[in-house]
Amino acid sequence: MPKRRQSPDASRRNFLKGAGLVGAAAAVTAPVAATAMPAVPAEKLKAALPGPRQVAAETMPPGNDPVNQSTSGGDFMTDVLNSLGIEYMAINCASSYRGLHEAIVNHGNNKPEIITCVHEDIAVHMAQGYAKIEGKPMAMACHGVVGLQHATMAMYNAWCDRVPVLVVGGNIMEADKRAPGAEWVHAGVDIGQIVREFTKWDDQPASLQHFAESAVRAYKIATTPPMGPVFLSLDAELQENPIPDAESLRIPKFVPVTPPQGDPAAIAQAAKMLVEAQNPVIVCDRMARTPAGMANLVELAETLQCAVIDNAGRMNFPSRHPLNQSFRRAMIGQADVILAIEMNDLWGTLTHFSDRIVRKSRPAYKSDTKIVTLGVRDLYLKSNYQDFGRWQDVDLDIAGDGEASLPALTEAAKRLIDDGRKAAYAERGKKLAAAHLAMVERSKTDATIGWDASPITTARMCAEVYNQIKDEDWSVVGTAIRLSWMHRLWDFKKPYQWNGVSGGSGVGYNLPASLGAALANKKHGRFTLAFGGDGDFMFNPGALWTAAHHKIPILYIVHNNRAYHQEYMYLVAMAARHGRGVDKMDIGTTIKDPNIDYATVARGMGAHGEGPITDPKDLAPALTRAIAAVKAGGPAVVDVVTDPR
Amino acid sequence: MNTFKRIAVTAFAVAALGVGAASLAAAQDAPQGNATNGKRIFLADGCFTCHGRSGQGGAYNGPAPILAHTALPFDGFKGQLRNPADDMPAFSEAVLSDKDVADIYAFVQSLPGPSSPKDIAILNN
Repeated sequence: MPKRRQSPDASRRNFLKGAGLVGAAAAVTAPVAATAMPAVPAEKLKAALPGPRQVAAETMPPGNDPVNQSTSGGDFMTDVLNSLGIEYMAINCASSYRGLHEAIVNHGNNKPEIITCVHEDIAVHMAQGYAKIEGKPMAMACHGVVGLQHATMAMYNAWCDRVPVLVVGGNIMEADKRAPGAEWVHAGVDIGQIVREFTKWDDQPASLQHFAESAVRAYKIATTPPMGPVFLSLDAELQENPIPDAESLRIPKFVPVTPPQGDPAAIAQAAKMLVEAQNPVIVCDRMARTPAGMANLVELAETLQCAVIDNAGRMNFPSRHPLNQSFRRAMIGQADVILAIEMNDLWGTLTHFSDRIVRKSRPAYKSDTKIVTLGVRDLYLKSNYQDFGRWQDVDLDIAGDGEASLPALTEAAKRLIDDGRKAAYAERGKKLAAAHLAMVERSKTDATIGWDASPITTARMCAEVYNQIKDEDWSVVGTAIRLSWMHRLWDFKKPYQWNGVSGGSGVGYNLPASLGAALANKKHGRFTLAFGGDGDFMFNPGALWTAAHHKIPILYIVHNNRAYHQEYMYLVAMAARHGRGVDKMDIGTTIKDPNIDYATVARGMGAHGEGPITDPKDLAPALTRAIAAVKAGGPAVVDVVTDPR
Repeated sequence: MNTFKRIAVTAFAVAALGVGAASLAAAQDAPQGNATNGKRIFLADGCFTCHGRSGQGGAYNGPAPILAHTALPFDGFKGQLRNPADDMPAFSEAVLSDKDVADIYAFVQSLPGPSSPKDIAILNN
């Protein structure tokens, strides 16, 4: 990214020193202005050798113009960020926030800790992955225009995923303070405009006190359900110049918002409906915000002995719990009451949709099924991007944070359950447990097909990985193999063992977001691993350098099917529909000729690399070596050449 | 796209197809197919992209069923290819002749089906 070239105007950063300095600055800038006066085309001006007056202006001491300062706005900004407990700031360095950057390093003693990233998309995605493990935001800093443009897709993923991220972008608000060249093309009147449709709130503070209040407000808004990314535009002058009146500055007090609970009368009504139902089904998606979320849902499900279908937007429900019916979606068609908690796409979950020439849909539930929703997602929506999904009719719509409302709902249900119901519920629970067990056994049997094949099946890959990490305190934070073998066969039972997916399905999420999650897991001593696609990997391979540089331990397994495989299948479908050329659909959809050697790429970034592994017999030893490298404190990549899905 | 929902939709459709097809075509014999040519077509025409090279099944918009050593009768298999019950693309004679279909059927029939997971220790963790 272009960075600000050295300005000939030595007075710019000292503007606020006072009127006396302005005269001195004018004296210095005059020769520069004179040098620039001739009507020379800009490109020639850049290429020309400096004249004697310009050389003098750039090399001579600036007279009475001060050259040092003892305070800076960036110092105060650093104090504000630290008051919020922000541990890390992922950055791609840029001149428009050099004041803040320097202040964090020196005034803050590198607190928040700077995480150096080679692309803004990596930095934001790291923050997204981190927040979903640690339960709080980290910060990301970028150049105000071009850097923010790079960051946008990742911010959209965070928005769709309802994840808090604090993004700050440098800007030079006052036109007469901008140096010629990059500072003009990298400045904007309203740089937050490009991300406003997918951030929860943004501001451009005009003073340090304004910054302090907006930073605390932004943090509060970001972390209040429904959560989301926020953005602050930081004026470079504000960051760099001395603090004019330090005594008047105050860091506001941050108090987190208590998440809203559902209305007690509505909760009681929902409890009555669930207790009286013959086949209640709970569906959930981004329900668990904290470690308490899963426990709360388990208690409700066990109270009712009802089926739980988990869309796995968060670690909501243990995978091996007998009431987990996530791979028995037909349960929806048998339900008489459906409780939908913090759903992302309720209509999609409750609908059969056909992707054919004529796109049709029909409900997956019975016409007399009652639907109850509990959540906060719809309390904050935007208009342009359609991530809110299609309208779903419901019978009872409770506005309240799912996790926070569950204890009251469970208690209300318990009060209504007599001994007769308990016996019936126990019988229902036994049937569900048997069905869950049958699903697991069927999955194991299915996994045996192609066990020794090359390319390696995804079932074999997952089994080999789990065999080696099952006794670790593991946390799997990314998938490119859908919610399939892992969730069918692995024992997910701790709140940090899963953290959902990208949100916006923006490709390039997996590698950097997994690193962010690994960064959060590092201090807890957890073993982090992730599966990522080869296509996804190539969007942000530079993230591995960040992992190596900051010694972030992670086992990253590349599910290398040498294609953008979903698109490959879509093209085959299009060709079949048109009755032509089904054998040519690898054009534009595959990543081969030459094949990419991801292990070599990893080693080039300073990570441990294994592969490409094509023979399943080679996978276990490669994993053993990679795991040892991770335990030594760094990232390791295992390139597994796999069958498509 | 909701992965779990898609999986359920297709699994249901595939199950329904299997039962219906079995009752309709059980008495019909499959034409003689060339498994070697069937494998070539299976890989060239994209069948493997959803169903896996070993016929182990996979996923498109929802799960793509296991084809290895399928119990589906030939007419049911061909019927699903020509007029699918779900999101699977329809392969007309313009892109897959009846001979091609027979060859593919012979190939998937030749693939070993599932074995006992008890024989694979790491599947029992």
